[in-house]
Amino acid sequence: MKGVMGEKFTIHDSRFTIHDSRVTSHELMSDFDETARRLTVKLVYYGPALSGKTTNLMRLHDLLQPEARGELMTLETQGDRTLFFDLLPLGFRAPSGLLVKLKLFTVPGQVAHDGTRKAVLSRADGVVFVADSQRTQGVNNAEAFQNLADNAARVGLDFDRLPLAVQFNKRDLPEIYSEAEIRERWSATPWPLFLASALNGDGVRETFLALLARVYADLDRLYALRTDHGLDEPAFIRAAADAGPRRQAC
Amino acid sequence: MLNPATRRFDAEWTLSELLAAAPRAVLQEALAALGGASLLETDGRTVLGPDPTAKARRMPLGSEIEPLGYLAADTGDAPTLRAVAALVQLALRAEQRYRMAAALHQEAVHADYQALQEKHAALQESEARYKALAERLQERVQEQVKVIETAQRQLYQAEKLASVGQLAAGVAHEINTPIGFIKSNLTTAQSYLDQISGYRHALKADARSAWNTLALDEVLADFAALLRESHDGATRIARIVADLKGFSRVDNPEQEIADVNEILRGVCQVAASQVRERAEVVLELSPLPSLRCHAARLGQTFLNLLLNAAQAMERRGAIRIATEHRDGLIRIRFADDGKGIPPDVLPRVFDPFFTTKDVGQGTGLGLTVCSDVVKMHGGRIGVESAPGRGATFTIELPVRS
Repeated sequence: MKGVMGEKFTIHDSRFTIHDSRVTSHELMSDFDETARRLTVKLVYYGPALSGKTTNLMRLHDLLQPEARGELMTLETQGDRTLFFDLLPLGFRAPSGLLVKLKLFTVPGQVAHDGTRKAVLSRADGVVFVADSQRTQGVNNAEAFQNLADNAARVGLDFDRLPLAVQFNKRDLPEIYSEAEIRERWSATPWPLFLASALNGDGVRETFLALLARVYADLDRLYALRTDHGLDEPAFIRAAADAGPRRQAC
Repeated sequence: MLNPATRRFDAEWTLSELLAAAPRAVLQEALAALGGASLLETDGRTVLGPDPTAKARRMPLGSEIEPLGYLAADTGDAPTLRAVAALVQLALRAEQRYRMAAALHQEAVHADYQALQEKHAALQESEARYKALAERLQERVQEQVKVIETAQRQLYQAEKLASVGQLAAGVAHEINTPIGFIKSNLTTAQSYLDQISGYRHALKADARSAWNTLALDEVLADFAALLRESHDGATRIARIVADLKGFSRVDNPEQEIADVNEILRGVCQVAASQVRERAEVVLELSPLPSLRCHAARLGQTFLNLLLNAAQAMERRGAIRIATEHRDGLIRIRFADDGKGIPPDVLPRVFDPFFTTKDVGQGTGLGLTVCSDVVKMHGGRIGVESAPGRGATFTIELPVRS
C-alpha cells in the first residue's frame, strides 16, 4: 500500500503492530438492549487538532432530518478546541419498533489528550477520520491517522475491519492538497474518501452516509436488522439522515 | 478491560444517577414553590417530590432521543410546567455534562494507569531476564574457571611427570641393553658351569685329589647359586625398568585395558626404596576384572597415596593396600597407621594448593590430581582419619563394560 497522508507514512508500517495482547476480540459499542428494545450505535469523529470534527457535528445537527435528534452537547472547550468530546444523539424507530440510537462523538485532536481520545474511541462501531487538506497539515494528518490505528488496537478494535470513512476537510481554504494528489495517495486504501468544507456544509452529509452504509453491514450481521426488524440499508440511512418530520414539514 | 467500578461515560444515564449528587433538598423546595411538581423515573417511580396522582400532567425531560424521566404535576398551567421542566432540564444537563466528563476522565486515567502498569510489568520482566542472564553468566564463568584450574593442575602434573618420565624412559632404555646381555651372559655362564661339572668325572687320581683339596664341588655349587641370584637380580632390575617406563607414558591420553593389581604391584616396586625404611607394605589383593583406564595416571595416583602414607609414619609402621571387586566397583584402600590427619585439615586435603608441608616440600597438588584422575575415571575418592590412628584413603572405580 502506498503512503496515504504525509511523507513517511504507509499503512502496513511496522509501527502499526498491535502491542496490546490483552485485547483479543473486537469490543463493540453497539449495545442491543432486548428489554428496552433499543440499539445504541457509537460513531466517532477522529482526526488531528483543528481539522473540523466539531464543525462536522454542528453541520450534521443542522443538515440531518432524522425522526429524533437530541441537542449537540459540547463539553468544555478551550479557545474553540475540544477538551473532552462533543456528542450529537440521533434516533429513529425501525418498523419492528426497535429504537435505533446513533451517538456521534468527537475526540479531542490535540496530541496531549491521547488518554481521553482513547477512551472516547473505545467501543466505537464506526469512525470518520477528518483530515485537514492544508499542505502544512500533511504530517499532522499522518500522525493522527497512525494514532487512530494504534489506539484502535489498544482499545481492542480490529482496525482492518472497523467501518471507516475518510474526509479531507477545509476544501474552501487556499494552499491545500489537490484532489488529484489526495485521490492518488488514497486510491489503494479500502476506505471511501470525501472532500468537504464543513464550514459551508459541503461533503459532511455524504461522509456520514458512507459511514452509515458501512456500519449497517456490521449491524445487520449482528442483529439481523433486515429480516428481524424490517430495516434494510436504504431504509436505515434514510431514517437516520432525512426521514424526519422536519423534511416532511418542508 | 475497564475497572468494574468505573462508569462507562458513553452509556445511558438514569434520572436517579444524575440526581444522586445534586442538591435534592433545594431542588425539591424549588419544585414545590413552582407548583408542586415531582420528578419521575422513565418507569414511573418517583425520584423527587410527592407521588403524583393518576391525573397528574407529565412532561418529558432530557435532551437526547428518549426521555430521561418525567416532570409530573397535579396543578399549574402548561406554560408554567414547561418553564419548570426547562429549568429542571438545564440543571440535569449540567449534571450530565459533568458526570460524563468525570467518567470519561476516570476512564482515560484508568487506561493510562493500565498502560503504565503494563509498561512496568514489561520492564520488570525484562529486568528479571537480564538478572537471570547475569546470574547464568556468573555461573558459566565459575564453571569455566573450574575447567581451567583442573586443566592447569593436570598440565602442571603432566609436565612434571613428563620430565620425570622422559628421564626414566632414557635411563630405562640405557639400562635395558646392558641388563639384557648381563642376563644372557649369566645364562651362558650357567651352562658353562654344567660343562665344567661334567669334566670332573674324567679326572684321574692326582687331579681328582687336587679337585677335592680345593673343594671345587662346593665352589661349583656356590658358583651356580651366585649365577642364579645374579640372574634373579637382573630380572628384577628389568621389571623395575619396565615399571618406570610405564610411568613415562602418563602423557599418553589413550585408554588401555589394565589390571589394577598389576599397576599396584608395579607402584610398590618403584616406590620400594623410598618406602622400605619407613613402613612395611602389605598387599591384600583380590582378583579384579580388567579395567579400561589410563593406567599410567592411575599408577601415579597410587604412587602419590603410597608415598603420602609413608611420609605420615612417625615410626616404622605398616601400609595395607587392599583391593576388592563388588557391585561393579573396584575398591582400592590405602590404610596406614601413621600420625593421621587433624580434623581441621581433613575436609581440605583434596583442595588445590592446600599443603601442610613446608614451603618447597610439596605443591599441594598431589591429592588434588589424585582426585581429578579418579573423577576422570568416573570414580570417587574419600578419606577417613583420626589423629594418631592413621588414615585410610578409599578409591572406587566403576567397571564399565
